[in-house]
Parts: sequence; structure tokens; C-alpha cells
Amino acid sequence: MSAAAAMAGRRGWTHGLRLLTVLLVLLGAGFPLYWMFVTSLTPSAALFAVPPHVWPSWSELGVYTEAFRTIPVGRWLRNSAVIAAGTTVLSIALAIFPAYALSRFQFRGAGLVGLGLFATQMLPEAMLVVPLYAIFGQFGLLNTLAGLILANTAFTVPVITWMLKGAIDGVPIDVEEAAKIDGCTRIGIVLSIVLPLVAPSLAAAAVISFFHGWNEYVLATTLISDEALRPASVGLASFVGELSTPVHSVMAVGLIYTVPAVVFYLFVQRYVVAGMTAGSVKG
Amino acid sequence: MVQPTRRHLGALAASLAILGRPLARPALAQGVKEIITFAGVTFTEAGRGDKLRAWVDGFNKSQDRIEVQPIGMPFATLANTVFTQMGGGAGPDLVRFDQIDYYAAVAARRILPLDEILADGHYTFTAAMKYLKVDGKAYGVPFESSNYVLLHNAALLKSGAPANFDDFLAKAKAATTDGVYGFAFRATMAERPGFWQDLCNFVFGFGGRWSDGKELTLNSPGVIEGVSAYKRVYDSGVLPKGADAATYRRMFWEGKLVMEIDNGGVAAILNQQAPTMPLVASFSPFPTRTQGAILAPLTINANTKNKAAVTTFLKWSLQPGPQRELQALLGAGNAATVVERTPEELQARPWLKVYDDQTSNSIPQLVEGFEIKTPEVQQIVLEQVLRVLQAGQDPKRAMDEAQRIAAARVKR
Amino acid sequence: MTPGPAPDAGAERWTPYWFIAPLALYLLLFQGVPLVQEAGLSFTATSLLSPREHVFVGLDNYRNLLDGSDFHAVLATTAVYTVACVVLSILLGLGVALLLDAPFRGRGVARALVTVPWAAPPVAVALIFVWIFNAQYGVFNFVLRSVGFAAGRENWLDTPELALPAVLLTTIWQIFPFAAVVILAALQGVSAELKEAATIDGADRLSIFGAVVWPTIRPSVALLSLFLTIWSIRRFDLIWLMTQGGPIGATETLVIKLYRDGFVYRDLGQAAAVGMVGVVVALAVTAVYFHFTRRAERAAGA
Repeated sequence: MSAAAAMAGRRGWTHGLRLLTVLLVLLGAGFPLYWMFVTSLTPSAALFAVPPHVWPSWSELGVYTEAFRTIPVGRWLRNSAVIAAGTTVLSIALAIFPAYALSRFQFRGAGLVGLGLFATQMLPEAMLVVPLYAIFGQFGLLNTLAGLILANTAFTVPVITWMLKGAIDGVPIDVEEAAKIDGCTRIGIVLSIVLPLVAPSLAAAAVISFFHGWNEYVLATTLISDEALRPASVGLASFVGELSTPVHSVMAVGLIYTVPAVVFYLFVQRYVVAGMTAGSVKG
Repeated sequence: MVQPTRRHLGALAASLAILGRPLARPALAQGVKEIITFAGVTFTEAGRGDKLRAWVDGFNKSQDRIEVQPIGMPFATLANTVFTQMGGGAGPDLVRFDQIDYYAAVAARRILPLDEILADGHYTFTAAMKYLKVDGKAYGVPFESSNYVLLHNAALLKSGAPANFDDFLAKAKAATTDGVYGFAFRATMAERPGFWQDLCNFVFGFGGRWSDGKELTLNSPGVIEGVSAYKRVYDSGVLPKGADAATYRRMFWEGKLVMEIDNGGVAAILNQQAPTMPLVASFSPFPTRTQGAILAPLTINANTKNKAAVTTFLKWSLQPGPQRELQALLGAGNAATVVERTPEELQARPWLKVYDDQTSNSIPQLVEGFEIKTPEVQQIVLEQVLRVLQAGQDPKRAMDEAQRIAAARVKR
Repeated sequence: MTPGPAPDAGAERWTPYWFIAPLALYLLLFQGVPLVQEAGLSFTATSLLSPREHVFVGLDNYRNLLDGSDFHAVLATTAVYTVACVVLSILLGLGVALLLDAPFRGRGVARALVTVPWAAPPVAVALIFVWIFNAQYGVFNFVLRSVGFAAGRENWLDTPELALPAVLLTTIWQIFPFAAVVILAALQGVSAELKEAATIDGADRLSIFGAVVWPTIRPSVALLSLFLTIWSIRRFDLIWLMTQGGPIGATETLVIKLYRDGFVYRDLGQAAAVGMVGVVVALAVTAVYFHFTRRAERAAGA
């Protein structure tokens, strides 16, 4: 066999192996979600069958309509969406200018600010929830979605700032110079020139803050007591009852809660890839 | 060039303002109704939750000045969520507490004494009421009290209820076959409250007590016997190890579990889920009849701004009609006042009688004299018991260690 | 890092401060003030039920931490959990990224689908994995038993030696896609010509990786490690909902102990002390990271 053909043969074999491995990885990644789906549709008695039922019993699909009928899932999801969207908007709004400043300016305290941003990132919600509760009480922010958004943002904005800073680092300064000559204010430059250029990082920032708002549990449990304002994370956890847990509803609601986040992510993910590392790869 | 910024900020402010309005507050259109909130775990339960909401709605429909809004909170977080809110000066007006949390709330003066409110009502409270008195004052009424007895599936246990502990263990072993387990209890820290309840039953059943009112007695002979018995069952192979209570209760009504010791509320759920299963109750198979009991008091938040409305609701709830309905929906538990069961009820569900008969033998699942410290003692005891169960530690040494650590801890 | 131009003297000297001010104030209010309050709390005995009543106890809360042997275990568990999460998810992410870097049909779909675990909410993930790990009926044990592993009889979340691996498996399942995505992006920056040149020179895949690929992606991996470390130290929902730190403290990390002290024992002062220790640890990690990145930058001549 010629050397080229041998190499082609080897490549073909490696290619097949690669495909197989990818398939296995995807199987591992997707299985638990699939299992959530199957469990939600498994009749109660069959839950304890050995071997476990692998295929969903499509006849049980009524669990989902039942869930929407008897459980305020729609309201939970709406609240989660408001919290997540609010967290995203506020985080990005707060992060843009500091990110720019940290990237473009050398000023006293820059290092301290950077360190501070990271340090606060490591504070868990559980630690700050009690003082936050007191502060919110004083400002009348308790039991409001706005209050929860303000609290969540405090935990995401440092990461967002750092990410945007890295992205802005990668934008050549000449673009700005030209605009400055044209008479643009610094603020104008940031908003109309720099921002569009770091769109991928903005997308990544949006994803991170959206997920944080969507998934957050500890603060939501404490700061929101009104059932009408409850987000899905708290709603789902509230299912784990003292006496018995309706497994099907739990799994069904869990899946309903997961799907929007996954769908949102699948839409935005190509920007995330670009945005994650823009600026930090200095090849 | 500055325009985008201003517009940008304006939109942000507007959206925050909109969000600041709590969504979906009921419109106070028809007259000004006083709204009071009532937090409890039961509202989240499948089955009982809806019935309890309907019961509360009965009050709302009976008059038009006050509306009671139920707030369901998950068992794991109710106390802390409510306490955090109370600490901040707010919180629900009415709270159905767990017994341990009740004492903590009393100690922190978070709930109101009820003696004045109850004075003119001539209510016949159940025996459980005496356990709610702290320094002679009652800070709650028993919303729900529920005893523990042994439940078994007569279709799987043809030889009838066990007579004593050895008989019980033998029957459990005999009944454990392919896919069917003889008995189940909780033995994981993730289910700490339930683990504690189950352990209490074993310890009390063998004559042990956590304290004598003045000193901790965690290493007294009765306690050690109870722990040893727990270990015997754990090692016997009859347990579906690792199954949490929600799972093994489901197993029971699916015919995969033969026996379990559980409270009246659960008995009602099991019966509801499997109406054709022959559910039989008998006294727990221990040397003494004493078992623990769930006692969930209904309390009034000291921060409440609607004391009159709350009092009205509380008094309504103690009337014979609402009490009867409440007891019916609770299952095999009891409400605050003595409500006779109807002959039809007793015939349809004979296990109700066993639960009622257990009342005189029930004591709270607390550390007497150290009620507020119960969570810490609980953690210490359960950790040591876990060492016995999983690390092979000797029960006496484990409980000696528990006594040592706990005694030091409660003095702090 | 592009060093910014020296700000025009006068006109723009205060601009950076104006730009940073809103965020600084915001964080001071919502993180700084609570943090200071927590620091103060750590020197008191305060109950969750009466958070405004404090009894000053000096260093007692800290002394309790040093006395109890279990605090060393907590620190060790936190370290093991964090390191394992970061290292294993980066390794797995690297492998998957390399896998998805080469062209093949359906690559776009594969890249999108592999990220699904990261999008799933931790509350839902905890619930399904607890069921998967169920000793009698869980599918995990079923698969193990079918393949002949005796471990298929084990009670994963309930056995001290096995609980942490089970929780780690769940965590890594959730976070490896994030690592894969970041590394995949970084791989796009690897110069194709350099790779070609090395291949023509006869270098094998491993040395190509070491000489060409790794130096390019190293900064991204470093940043990724920092993110993952931060999130691992902070991770609460998943661990608490699966094991609550048990059994016998096998999965008790700093955050879990903090939550237990504050919300189970209702001892806010003790919880605050644990939190302060956590802050010190976090600061140390951050300082180490900055030290190494600055050194790497200086070496690269930036």
C-alpha cells in the first residue's frame, strides 16, 4: 500500500473512532435530561421495576398538561424570566463603563478594583443573605422582583465586567482615535463604537447573567415570600414535600423549567464561543 | 452623541419601576378587605394541600371583611425563611410551625401568647395542648397532631401484626424477597428531621429518653438499646437502603414495602393512593408503647399588623364545624380540639382508631428541658448514630461521645 | 493587555473614576456593606431569630473552628472538591474540545448539544441525579450491575466514601461543557500554519500539542481555571440538595458548613466566622492567580 493510502486508511479509522467518541460524549451529556423525561412519564408502579423502563410511556403525556393545570408553572416561569432578563439588562448596563475604564485607562486604584471584583465573586449568597435581607427591608425592596434582580446583579456583575474588559482589550485603539478626532465624547465612543465591536462578549455576558438569574435559589427563597412572585427554582424545590413527593410532577416541572434555558442557550451559543475568550487569547 | 445614554438609563429606570410593583396582587376592588397571610407546609402537599386551601377558603367565603391567603413553603425552608422575615420585622401573620421551631420562636419572642384570645372560647383541647405551654403560657394551638404506629400491608404480611420486636424483625426478614422489602426507615443526614423522628420512636419504644428534664441522658441504657435496635434493623437486609421517605412511602402503596412506622398524615396518603390495599395499623413493636408524635402548632406572628383579623380567623378555626372538616382532611391526625370520629369513618378506615388510641402514649420528639437546643443535640446524636450504622462504631461508645459533645454544646 | 493611553491631562483625568463610580457604589452597597456586617457578626453570638440582638464574644467563634477537628475536614473537603472539579472538568473539556475541533459532518450540532448540561438549572439537576443514584432503582447502579461491577450494589449518596465521587460526577457533568466551549474557542486561535509546519517536520501529535497548541490556549485555560475555581468554592445548591453535606460530613464544604451553622443551628455568628475564613481563602487564591498571570505576562513580554 502506498504511504498516502496507508495514511488515508489510518485517517478513516481515526475518523470513525472520533465519531463514535463524539456520540458517546453526547449520550453522556444528554442522558440525565432524557431520564428526567422518561421518569416524568413512568407510571408509579413502574418506577420500581428492575430493569428500569428505558423508553417513555407516551400514554402518560397527560402529566404535563396536568402539571400546567394544577401547578402554577406558567407563573413560575414568567417570574423566572423577569428575574433573569432584569438581571441580564442591569448587569450589562452596570458593567460596560467600568470594563472600558479598566481596559483603557491607567489610574490609581485600578489594580485594587480588579482584585475587589474577583474577591466579591467568591462570596456565596448564603453568606450575604441575612444582611441583604436587613438592607432590603430598610429600602422596602423585600418581596419584589426588582429587589431580587438587584441582589442577583451584585453577584454577576463582577464576572461580566472582567469579561467585557478582556474583550475591550482586544479592540484596537485606532478605531477610537478616529472617532475622537471627529469630536465624539468618550461616552459616545463607548456606546456606539466599542460596544458593537465586542458583541460576542456581550452575548456571553448575557448568557451568564441570564442563567444566574434563572437558576438562583438561595436569595429567591428568602427575599420572596409572596407565592405569586415565586420563581421556578423555588417552586420546583417546594415540591419536595414533608410527607410525599409526586415524582412525575417533579420531573415534569423540572424538565419544563430546564427547557427554556437550554433553548435560549442553543440560540446564543455561537456568540458565547467567540465571546468567552475574546481578548484573552493574545496569540 | 450623549442621547443613547440618557435613553438607555431612562428605559432601565422605567423597567425597574414596573418591576417594583409586586405582580398579581389581588385587586382590592370590592370594598377594602383585610388580607392576612398564613404560611404552612401542608399547603404544598399533593392531596392535602388543595383540601386545606379549600378549608381556608371556607372562612374567606363565610364573611367579606377578611381574606386569608395561604402561603405554601417547602418543609426544608419554611422555618428559616419565616424566621429571617420575622427578624426583619415582617413575615406571615399566621404560621404553622414544626414543634422544634415553635420553641425557638417562643424563646425569641416572635409569636404571641394566646391565653387571652382563647380564654372565652371554652374549647376542649386535645392532650397535645399541654406540650405547647412554655412557662405556663400557650403560644400556639395544635393545628395538627399525629401519632406514630406500625403500618403494614396485610396482603403481603399474612401472619398479622408482630407481637414484639424479635417477632417484628423475623417477619420483616421473611417478607423481604425479590424486589419487596420488609421495612423502611430514614437513616441519612439529608433527611435529618425524619431520621430524628424515626430514631425517637425506636429510643422511646425501648424506654429511653433524651433527657430527664434537667440533664441530658443521651447515654442512658434505654437510649443505647434503642440505637442498638436501630442498628440491628439496618444490618438485617430488610431495608431499601438510601431510599428517602418519599420513595419508600411510594413503594409501600405500590406494594413493594411491607411495614413501616409512620404518622397519621402518611397513613391517609397511603390509603388515598392505594384504596384497595388492606392497610392495617397496630402499636409499634417495641417493649413500651411510648412513641413520638408530630405536633404542629398554629401561631400568630408578633409582627402582625392585623391582630383583630388574625384573631377572628383563629377563633373561627376552633369552631366545631371547621374543626371537624380540618380533622377529616388531615387524615389520621387530630386537630386542636377533641372531635369525635363518626362510626362511618371508623368503619371505612379502622386504622384511625389505632392512631387515636396511641395518643395517651405519645410524647414530643424533643429534648425535654432543652427544647431550643434540640437542633444541635439532634445533629450530634444523628452523627453518632450514623457512625454506628455505617462505620461500625459500638452504640455505647457512640452515645457516650454524643453525651460528651452535646453536654458541652448546650452549656455554650 | 493593551495599556491604555495616558489620559489627557485635565479633561479626562476624572473620566475613569466617573465610569467606575456607579458600579463601585452598587457593589459597596450590596456586597461591601453586607460583608462588613458579616465580619462584625463573626465576633458575636447572634441568633437567626433575633438578628439585631448581638452578644459580643470576641474570638470565640473562631476558636470553635480551630478546636473542632471537623473544620480541618471541611477545609480538606473543600480543597478536594474544588481541585477535582477544576482539573477533571478541564481535562474532560479539553478532550471534548479537541474532539470537536476537527471537521466532521454534524459538527455544529454536536457543538451545540454538548453544552446542554451547562444550561440545566442546578435544582433540577440535583433532583434527577438523586434519582439516578438511587441504590435500588437508580439507573446508574443498574448499568453498573449489568456490566458486572460490584459497585452496582452501592448506596452512592449515603456511603461516606462514595458520596463525594457521586457529587463530583454530577458537578463535572454540569460544568465540563463550559470548559469545552472555552477551550474550543481558544483552539480557533491556534495558528494553522504552525501546526502544518510542525507536522511536515515530522512531529507527532503530542509534541505538536505541547509546542504549538498549548502555549496558545494556555491564557484561556488559566482564566477558565479561575472561573471554575471561583464557582466551585461557591457552589451550594447542587451539594445541599443532594447530600446536605453528609454522610458524616463527607461532602461538607465551607459553604455547606456556613449554611448549616447559620440556618440549621441558627447561629449567625458562627456562620459568619466560617464565611470570613472562606473570604480569606478566596483572597489567597485570587492573589496567587494574579501573581502567576502577571509573571506569565512579563515572561511573554507583554
